Amino acid sequence: MSALARSVRSVFSFYLFIVRRARRTKIFALVSFLPALAALVIRVNAWLSPGAAVDGPAVFSNIILTFNLQFLILVLALFYGTSILAEELEGKTLTYLTTRAVPKAAIILGKYAAYVSFLIVMVAAGVTLAFVILFADRLGDAQAWLVLARSAAVLALGLLTYTAFFTLAGVLLKKSILFGLMFSFGWENIVPYFPGATQRFAIMHYLKSLLPPISTGGEGNFAFLMFKLEPSTPAAAIVTLAVVTAAALGLACWAFARKEYLFEE
Amino acid sequence: MTAVIRADKLSKWYGNVLGLSDVSLEIGPGITGLLGPNGAGKSTFMKLVTGQLKPSLGRVEIFGRPIWNATGLFARIGFCPEQDAFYDELTGGEFVTRLLGLQGFSRTEAMARAEKALRFVELFAEKDRLLRGYSRGMRQRLKIAQTIAHDPEILILDEPLNGLDPLSKRKIIRLIRDLRDAGRTIIVSSHVLPEIEALTRSIVLLHQGKILAQGDIPYIRDLIDKHPHKISVKCADPRALASGLLEQPSVRAIQFGPEAETVVFETQDRDAFFGLLTRLIVENGQDIEEITSPDDNLQAVFDYLVGT
Repeated sequence: MSALARSVRSVFSFYLFIVRRARRTKIFALVSFLPALAALVIRVNAWLSPGAAVDGPAVFSNIILTFNLQFLILVLALFYGTSILAEELEGKTLTYLTTRAVPKAAIILGKYAAYVSFLIVMVAAGVTLAFVILFADRLGDAQAWLVLARSAAVLALGLLTYTAFFTLAGVLLKKSILFGLMFSFGWENIVPYFPGATQRFAIMHYLKSLLPPISTGGEGNFAFLMFKLEPSTPAAAIVTLAVVTAAALGLACWAFARKEYLFEE
Repeated sequence: MTAVIRADKLSKWYGNVLGLSDVSLEIGPGITGLLGPNGAGKSTFMKLVTGQLKPSLGRVEIFGRPIWNATGLFARIGFCPEQDAFYDELTGGEFVTRLLGLQGFSRTEAMARAEKALRFVELFAEKDRLLRGYSRGMRQRLKIAQTIAHDPEILILDEPLNGLDPLSKRKIIRLIRDLRDAGRTIIVSSHVLPEIEALTRSIVLLHQGKILAQGDIPYIRDLIDKHPHKISVKCADPRALASGLLEQPSVRAIQFGPEAETVVFETQDRDAFFGLLTRLIVENGQDIEEITSPDDNLQAVFDYLVGT
């Protein structure tokens, strides 16, 4: 194992330990389990209302697209990605990292890896619980489990890419949260609905291109959300997301190694 | 002296603001005190020496190598930052152990080293307490524990005595002396002269980013002694005391303080003045409540030296 890889691993271990105890983690964990709670409410409502049927797959698809993909992973990636550097500056703890025998790139990569791993597990747990509740009558169906696996994989890719992107923003910008909010809920939620090639300028486009075929239950409510999607091929989507992730992390490491950071007095 | 740390025409600007200007010095094993009022450039110098900042001009070398982005050198340096900042989710023991983990020590090795460092600063019994429950003195000692835990050859301590009660100060001064006796190269910054005097005789005076004076304590004291000192005496009959000292050549000026029982003497010869004062007190049976020196702080020393 190279010296950089060893340092990344030690930083990863350090922050995986810390992130589990952080107060905000508890809040975001609760938010991540909201889909499961919503699924439970829908299920209970169906049991209490004779004749009301629940289209589990349709509800699940809606939750994945509108809540997890277009809201939750953006918020998580924004807050955790930008905080990779910002929390060290605000807490004035950066000194403990930059005066260790740890390459600066390892600080960024190790902390990024720790946060993303934790977020993926947290989001996957919420999604899986929602899936079990909504697919309670179809748990023996292998196709249903494939839908879960693919949905979770898309969310994981989203977290990897967006967190990398916001890590870069955090390294380069002072007001990275403001920029991130505008990017997430402006650009990323509008551009994918543009027709033609324009939508390919949004990361969200490639994530939506990878989602499993949507079960809308006929003319479902969320069909309009996909109305103008002209999906890229899975291979193109994965390559694009990988390139964005690698480029963002590479630039973040490069910039972090060259910039000086001063604490606000 | 074998120079462990060498600064050559070192300068640093923060935009248009000067942090350090044309500083050249060599530091070898033992304790070197870095003295200066707030904003003198002490922290800037320490950040440059620990590779947190890049010089605007000049060079800073540790063991003959430039420190900026020289990751390997950091294993040989321990830095105790000025700011009271920690990962409050951790306990004291976890803080030191996990930081050692960052240095690449195995879990077992890190735990053994953390235990040794925590015992050294007398915090081992508190190792399982969350950091947010630590007192200021404990947190300061914990910073020293993380500084020494990986057994570095150079220790850079930025205001390690700041804000501590006298008992904690004594403990930390003893710890730093023990580290000096163990052969470490130590730089300690402070803006309080007596604190540095308690640690070392070798000091560097910084003012407005420049070296104002450099040498041992007697040399600096000589510089200071060339300038008048103020000595305030609080007693039952200040006028009688003042009349007894009025004609003495060592007394330059006498001023009665805002409090009725206080008189302030200005002298250029402290030793002669204190000899006279003691004799007068004994001979006249003066009831003295307090003798203080308003100048016995570093700002006054700097004011003297820069002629303000």
